[in-house]
Amino acid sequence: MSDLKNETRRYQNPELFEQLAIEYAVGSMQGRARKRFEALMDTHFYLRAVVDAYENKFAHLVELLPDSQPSDKVWNNIEAHINSSAVAQVDPEQKTAWWKSAFFKQGFGLAAMALIVSAVLLFNPMTPDATAYSAVLESGSNSAVAVTRIQKSDMKLSVDLKMPVEVDNNMELTLWCHPKGGGKPMKMGTVSKTGKTEIKISKKEWQNMKDVGLLAISIEKKGDNKIKEPTGEILLKGMLNFAG
Amino acid sequence: MGAFFASKKNLLRIYIQEYDNLLTEHQKEEKEMEDIYAELLQKTASGDQLAFKKLYEMASPKLMGLCLRLMQTESLAEDVLQEGFIKIWDKAETYSQGKGKAMTWMSTVVRNKGLDKLRSLKTKAAETEIQYEGLEFAAPDLEPDSLENLSQDVKGLMACLDKLKPAQRECILLSYYYGHTHQELAKKMDKPLGTIKAWIRRGLEDIRPCLT
Repeated sequence: MSDLKNETRRYQNPELFEQLAIEYAVGSMQGRARKRFEALMDTHFYLRAVVDAYENKFAHLVELLPDSQPSDKVWNNIEAHINSSAVAQVDPEQKTAWWKSAFFKQGFGLAAMALIVSAVLLFNPMTPDATAYSAVLESGSNSAVAVTRIQKSDMKLSVDLKMPVEVDNNMELTLWCHPKGGGKPMKMGTVSKTGKTEIKISKKEWQNMKDVGLLAISIEKKGDNKIKEPTGEILLKGMLNFAG
Repeated sequence: MGAFFASKKNLLRIYIQEYDNLLTEHQKEEKEMEDIYAELLQKTASGDQLAFKKLYEMASPKLMGLCLRLMQTESLAEDVLQEGFIKIWDKAETYSQGKGKAMTWMSTVVRNKGLDKLRSLKTKAAETEIQYEGLEFAAPDLEPDSLENLSQDVKGLMACLDKLKPAQRECILLSYYYGHTHQELAKKMDKPLGTIKAWIRRGLEDIRPCLT
């Protein structure tokens, strides 16, 4: 068995990877170990989520530091970098001026733009489409309890419960995706009370993910397939993020 | 054409004024301050350079403080701050409030840049250049005036750290603020390497339940 496989197996031990994640976040994991851990974080989403959570906790320490004013040249360099990069892309200010030009005040300008946009969307291989989304679902006490990942590669949504949830035998856990702008949630399916659940998603559901804000798991009566939105207690919830 | 640019300039001036008004109105309230950071970051994500400049003006002094401690020299610290903010500009659209506070997200981006830079440098700044050391700003017995201005988050974190043995606390904070390696800590604290490793490992084990 390769070293990487051995290493991966080691990191499947929650106690161990929690400890490694906190060491990484504090900065006490260094050298090759840090590099190896970063490589694993790229492929093991849960490691990334736990590290993010600890990095967030420790980042509050920055608040205690005294302020130091950087020299003006720092901002000047940043600005120069942004402006030089914007030449290749589209400067938002230029975009406004361009849009307001006389050409675009005429109807054919809009039609031409629609064609260009369609062509770019269809044929530009550089269009940054999402390939994965993720969310850390937390209970009321804000401790991470489940990790959700949605991947385009296998069109699956996975929910990994990090600790078993105690629910009456006649009840079950249901996962919901709430749109960012409000409105009715998408019911994604039933989630196991322990371990990992995988739910196959449709093309349409995948497309809708870009508009999803909150993910929530509610406790519902077992077998009640008619419900269109959560009726029971919301056990876990978290925001869906772009992850790749 | 000239009138167009003049009105655009006026618009930008009003825009800056609006941000300044927001800042003076809200700076006393921690949550509202965070809202401003989050809003500016959101506008940055949509390519608003003015919002990004305001975000830089507000956040850079604190983050420069961090870079100075990590890098020890002003020129390296400014390099890291610059690279960090370019990454914030490039990646602003990946931030969401679900990822935590805007300022903590930016701190992590900048600090990771600093740690990468430290890793790429063969040696740290020579001892003679070191001007930034110590942990007096994070002392367990901060003055009540200083404590009053801190957020609940950092107060909670400090309470967790205060439960550790002083040496464990010191090692963890030196790792965080200065990016010291175990070897550097061993030298600095005049202790065997194994002792330092054990202090940090046990310290982090002990603090975990408190953090969650």
